[in-house]
Amino acid sequence: QTTLILGEAGPNRGARAVATQAFADDVTARTNGDLVIDIQWGGALFKADAALQGVSDGVADLGTIIGVYFPQEMIAYGIADLPLLNADAWVGMRATDELMRTDPIIAANLADQDLVYLGTFTTSAVNIGCKGAAIRTAEDVSGLKVRGVGAYGDVFRDLGANMVAMSIYDAYQGMDTGLLDCSQGYSYAVAALKQQEVMTSYTLMNWGQVGALGIFMNKYAYDALTPEQQTAMNDAGVGMADTLGELITADNDAAVQTMKDAGVEVIELDAAERDKLVERGAPYIDAWVEQATAAGLDGAGMLDSYRALLAKYTEERDAQGYPWTR
Amino acid sequence: MDGTLIGLCAFAAVIGLLALRVPIAFALAGIGTIGTFVIFATRTGAFTPDRAVRPTTSLVFSNSFDLIHSYDLSMIPLFIALGHIAYRADITTRIYDAARVWLAKVPGGVAMASVVGCGGFSAITGSSIACASTMGRICAPEMLRMGYDKGLATASVAAGGTLGSLIPPSVLFIIYGIFTETSISSLFLAGVLPGLLSLAGFLLAIYIWVKSKPSAAPAYQGEITMQDKLNAAIGAWPAVALFGLIVGGIYGGFFTATEAAAICVAAACVIGFAQRKLTWRDLWESLRETCIQTSSIFLIAAAAKIFVAFIALTGVASDIVASVSDAQLSPVLLLAAIAVIYLILGMFLDPIGIMVLTLPLMVPLVESYGFNLIWFGVVVVKLLEIGLITPPVGLNVFVISNVVGKAVPIDKIFAGIWRFLAIDVVVLILLMSFPIISLLIPNSL
Amino acid sequence: MLYRIERLLLDLACCAVIALGALITASVLLRVTLNSGIPDTIVMVRELMVVAIVLPLAAATTARAHIVVEFVSNRLPMRAQGMLVIFGGMFGLLALSPLLYAGWNETVHMITSGSYYFGQLNLPKWPGRVLFLIGMSFCWLRLLLLVIGDIRTLRAGGIPALSETTSSTFVEDEKDRA
Ligand code: NA
Ligand code: NA
Repeated sequence: QTTLILGEAGPNRGARAVATQAFADDVTARTNGDLVIDIQWGGALFKADAALQGVSDGVADLGTIIGVYFPQEMIAYGIADLPLLNADAWVGMRATDELMRTDPIIAANLADQDLVYLGTFTTSAVNIGCKGAAIRTAEDVSGLKVRGVGAYGDVFRDLGANMVAMSIYDAYQGMDTGLLDCSQGYSYAVAALKQQEVMTSYTLMNWGQVGALGIFMNKYAYDALTPEQQTAMNDAGVGMADTLGELITADNDAAVQTMKDAGVEVIELDAAERDKLVERGAPYIDAWVEQATAAGLDGAGMLDSYRALLAKYTEERDAQGYPWTR
Repeated sequence: MDGTLIGLCAFAAVIGLLALRVPIAFALAGIGTIGTFVIFATRTGAFTPDRAVRPTTSLVFSNSFDLIHSYDLSMIPLFIALGHIAYRADITTRIYDAARVWLAKVPGGVAMASVVGCGGFSAITGSSIACASTMGRICAPEMLRMGYDKGLATASVAAGGTLGSLIPPSVLFIIYGIFTETSISSLFLAGVLPGLLSLAGFLLAIYIWVKSKPSAAPAYQGEITMQDKLNAAIGAWPAVALFGLIVGGIYGGFFTATEAAAICVAAACVIGFAQRKLTWRDLWESLRETCIQTSSIFLIAAAAKIFVAFIALTGVASDIVASVSDAQLSPVLLLAAIAVIYLILGMFLDPIGIMVLTLPLMVPLVESYGFNLIWFGVVVVKLLEIGLITPPVGLNVFVISNVVGKAVPIDKIFAGIWRFLAIDVVVLILLMSFPIISLLIPNSL
Repeated sequence: MLYRIERLLLDLACCAVIALGALITASVLLRVTLNSGIPDTIVMVRELMVVAIVLPLAAATTARAHIVVEFVSNRLPMRAQGMLVIFGGMFGLLALSPLLYAGWNETVHMITSGSYYFGQLNLPKWPGRVLFLIGMSFCWLRLLLLVIGDIRTLRAGGIPALSETTSSTFVEDEKDRA
């Protein structure tokens, strides 16, 4: 029996933690108990911004790596953070997973960093909640004090928002005191952090997601496994997308209901307004293609494949429904 | 070698080295590094030191660098600088003149004022260390100058600093809330009464101390007229203005608690220069002292972080929790066991490290007993705060020691601490026995 | 020479404290007055924290400001206490060596990989690592010189300084006011 250590910067609560634990249990089940994964929660071994070095140097055998902390090293994975039209958690995860798993250039790029890709998560669709304001059009963010993340935040800034740097955990107090008008977030996180207590409106943007976070493995530790064990790890990794997809979709729906019950006005952003946001995001997508190409990857080709994969899984969902409803 | 055994050996080695007068930072970092190396070298069963070098150095670097490389912790050097600058700009001395004049007839009045000041300051900052360092810089030297007992002058602020995480806002409650998915605002509200209870407890400790030994806090000799009182109160306006600026700024939505530290330093400089009490030379000297203090405090904290990562690798914390879980104790015994675990870990580790190591296992255990998680959060934070003032590793005590320098040896501070610890234990037992103290405010809103 | 470098490093750290305070203050003022801000404030503050904390380590070592627990060793004769000071210094050299080695590796890695922080300015990650390495190196060197000096003192029949004041000006103030 071999015990592998998995370093996770987040707490052992919430949908992602459940999916991580399910992955670990799945690996043990698939290897008939040969592989056991000991998860170190809360960044006890390394914090999120040291996760890549931690896994690559073997501090932990596996670890959750969040792409936004490593824009250079995780440039390929960063495709899942782009403000594309990509709001479905399950579709996004399966597309990202297939791209990461099948593109040999990405695998070689990761191998250079002593990393092996195992499976992907997502934070799910990016939305925006406000206190005292409401986002009904793209222009509504103009002049508001907004907490934003990644390229989505960049788009809000371009639209005239005043960006306030603050962690999602401080957003409650920020909105409560008026330091913040709006906070970019995810439905389940709004409920988990009780932000509905201070929000007055919540806009479902149906735009995109932050999806570049997932489990990677140290290459030496991976190579030391038998081929059967490696297959078990990979299959368990694919399964993560379905596990988390089911959990997060349910959590998000419940969270929106919680918000409604708390008297928060839940707004569905008009598709035409959403398209304006997507259009505003285009320069950041071009910038990514340029950076990926500079890093020796086929940026434009990857983007085409990714869009095709998003279409493929959207089609599968529309035809058959989500795996957990089939 | 068994991880738990390595972990227990490491605790013993740290105690041994500290007794041999090895600086705390070196003892924690050295043992943490050696222990990490041993674990990585023996992971496969055989002894393979060559395979342990890369992960060991990586762990050691990332844990120490990340601790320093922090935006939120920028509050600490800034608040320490605020203490130094306000001291040199005569701002702090005049609060003390006011406290001395107004509290002349109260035994130990200035020590009590310091503790109340800590309570007020903790309503602004979420960190006990920031609280202890700022209030320590402001209060301890003034009390020493007034002839207070060295132990009383230092221990009162070291203990008072622990209010920093109990009275909201509080970094520890935020982390606890994230780990337990409980409402952070409920946790904040739940901390208010226990924080005030602890504050009252510390005041009582000072009262008992001074009653039993009046020479510990010399009373002000001489006549005090109403005019003196008024003058002293008016003279203290810069401090009141700074405090108002922070509170108004945070609760008025102009800036965050981290930003408040920077704003306050800027405001203190403006007041100091405008009143011609502060010179550029003073400012520079203040900053030099700030930097030396900050670096030695952070060196300990970074070393403690290395030690926490090593303890995570050993699995000793989860083994202890698991054995408590297996013992199937009665609720009262379980609480007692939890208190003992946190107090022992608190002797060596920092609060955030302890939370990260224990909460993933502790919380499901506590939930299975049907305990209220908000109330349990208050109990945990109180236990962790006690750990900040227990020997051998008591971060708040080190902070105060750093502030007063050789004027008071660290052992003298620990010697004064036990009176506050005794009160803390009583408060802790009250909090554990009567959950309503914690839950009254969150339940009624 | 080393003393002057230490002073320089300490003064640079003071500048870093001023810079991070000014940066945060400016971004608050810009937000409150002009509804705008400074890009990548958080990244810059984090890098400045490294300067503020690691560069003064050598000066802190010279001031013997590393905190120790004395209540056991206090009961020993002075000569034995002096030996313990040397032991503590030697243990410190041992404890800091892995950090120095790791700092070097990390610096080289960050420079060669061209790693940067996500943000408007895409600031590189290497400067903080280089400064960490510089601060740690001088701290280690100073500790080594202290240990060598202490050994010489002890051999010559003297007692190494147990510690010096960490807050020298506090003592000066005492004198002023007396
Ligand atoms: Na507080
Ligand atoms: Na302690």
